[in-house]
Amino acid sequence: MCADLSRTPRNLLVCERSSFLDEKNRLSFQVEQLRFNYKVSLLLPECGSAPSHLESTLNSFSRFYLVKKLPIYELLDKDFLQNAVYQGSVYGLSFGTRIDEDNCVALMPNGRLVLSLDKDSYEMLGFEGRPSRFNHRTCSRFVVPVDLKERSMAPGSPGYRRLLRALSSHLKLQTDFLISHHPGGGAALKALLSRYDWSERRPEVCSRRLSDLVCPDLRSCDPHSLLEWLGAADADVSCQNSSSSFLSTLTCPEPTTTLAAALSASVSGLLLPQDVQRLVEQLRCHLQQEQTASWASVTVHGFADGPVSWGDEEHGVLTGGENFYNLLMFHDHTYRLHLATGPQDGCPP
Amino acid sequence: MLKMFAPAVGFSTVAINYVFEPKAKKQEVPSPMPITELIGKLPMVQGHSCPIRVLNRLTVVMSEASHFRPNASEYRPFDLLAVQPTTEKLFHAACMLCDVDIICILVTERLPFFFKRAPINGSIDRGVVFEVSYASALRDITMRRYTITNAVCLMESCKGKNVILSSAAEKALELRGPYDIVNLGLLFGLSDTDSKEAVTSTCRAVLLHAEARKTASGIVYTMKSQQEVLRDTADSEAPAAKRPKST
Repeated sequence: MCADLSRTPRNLLVCERSSFLDEKNRLSFQVEQLRFNYKVSLLLPECGSAPSHLESTLNSFSRFYLVKKLPIYELLDKDFLQNAVYQGSVYGLSFGTRIDEDNCVALMPNGRLVLSLDKDSYEMLGFEGRPSRFNHRTCSRFVVPVDLKERSMAPGSPGYRRLLRALSSHLKLQTDFLISHHPGGGAALKALLSRYDWSERRPEVCSRRLSDLVCPDLRSCDPHSLLEWLGAADADVSCQNSSSSFLSTLTCPEPTTTLAAALSASVSGLLLPQDVQRLVEQLRCHLQQEQTASWASVTVHGFADGPVSWGDEEHGVLTGGENFYNLLMFHDHTYRLHLATGPQDGCPP
Repeated sequence: MLKMFAPAVGFSTVAINYVFEPKAKKQEVPSPMPITELIGKLPMVQGHSCPIRVLNRLTVVMSEASHFRPNASEYRPFDLLAVQPTTEKLFHAACMLCDVDIICILVTERLPFFFKRAPINGSIDRGVVFEVSYASALRDITMRRYTITNAVCLMESCKGKNVILSSAAEKALELRGPYDIVNLGLLFGLSDTDSKEAVTSTCRAVLLHAEARKTASGIVYTMKSQQEVLRDTADSEAPAAKRPKST
């Protein structure tokens, strides 16, 4: 008996076709649900350089902060809860931690704190949680979800004191932390940041011009081939499949057209869904204004090592932690949306 | 060089293996070099803020039952203990009786025996794991066939439970990243989740088993203190005795 190599790890692709003019379209909801965005990539046809309004949108993505060795019990600080968590949306994610190896922390804008812990850390913490959905034979991963806006977790309540004691004396959890606040920005986080080694970061923007890009028929192409082609264009992988090169056998799906020029731009960092929403609106305007542009593609990648992906769904990494969506917009207000996740994820919305 | 490469590739714990093949009489078990002498400062694991953990491991190649001496004091300096049985009888003894952590599966030649469910289930119950190493598969095409064949035979009997995949690398280039090993496990007949476990939680279980092996029932751990050693040497003269009563 030989190994069954035909089975590959499960991945999930949700495809949707709709129009911006349709009242029932759920695009804003879907964009808002992927809370922790790592990278946004654009592909614009017939475009040598980024138009000014798009460039200013890319450069105006919210700044975020990297705090070194933040003890996680600080996220339960009364002033921090009053000024930041209850007043707006705090987006926080542990940095430099691997979801399948280390302890990871996420603070979501709805006030939920999620700790994804290994077995030893969970047993030391002594706070209630549940085993991870993705445990196989042994329970090696546990998730502790805490709703900081709930009455039982109000500062001074028994639940709050218990968690604070657990994080400050039983398990002194300390990680590098990426944090951002909407709409207040750094002001609401000042008190927390001033106590630790922090640095303000701007999302990194880079762009390049592609020439003679072979492009498929975007309306009729099947989703898997389309996403493969978009990935190849973004990663600058040749789709020529020439007989002398063995680096790539990827080909552009037929029927093809050739674009003289195209713009590939990306922004990376801790990106907020509100900024992504604004970028989508700007791209819609761009498509209406420019006669030559017939489509625009935006791909938004979530963090591979975050404890959550869409909404409150648990996220894990088997061999890859992909959770991303691609929005392909057309001149006539219609769009194709593809939401993809890997083997250790729930279903996208 | 190998130890510098492992953290860069993504491993957080490595074990340095000393192979002991008792051919001649009175051959001594090698003593492991202290880790601090081998590597000055432990490098940080890629993407983490903690240094790599380095352990010492002994593999005893058993071609006779007397080659493995249970509870031998020479095995104490090693963190992990492994045996590589070469016959069916020795494999059965290793699975059911030997106080070891790892049983190595032959990968360099055709297996001289078939795996039976009974000893395999016995070792799974005891917490002993089976190890398949892949470096020889990288060196030679014939060994690649033997590795895959022997590994697939093992997986048929053990159903993917209690298996670890390790490198047995002698050079830096024979090491592969953890996710590559997870994919390699698919070739050996493991499912994707079993293969992931073979690199993560099963390895953690082996380390805990090794620590428990050195204790009494996993609860009590003894250590020789310095003061006792000094007192022992002072009392080496004739022990105190009662003087007979004079009448």
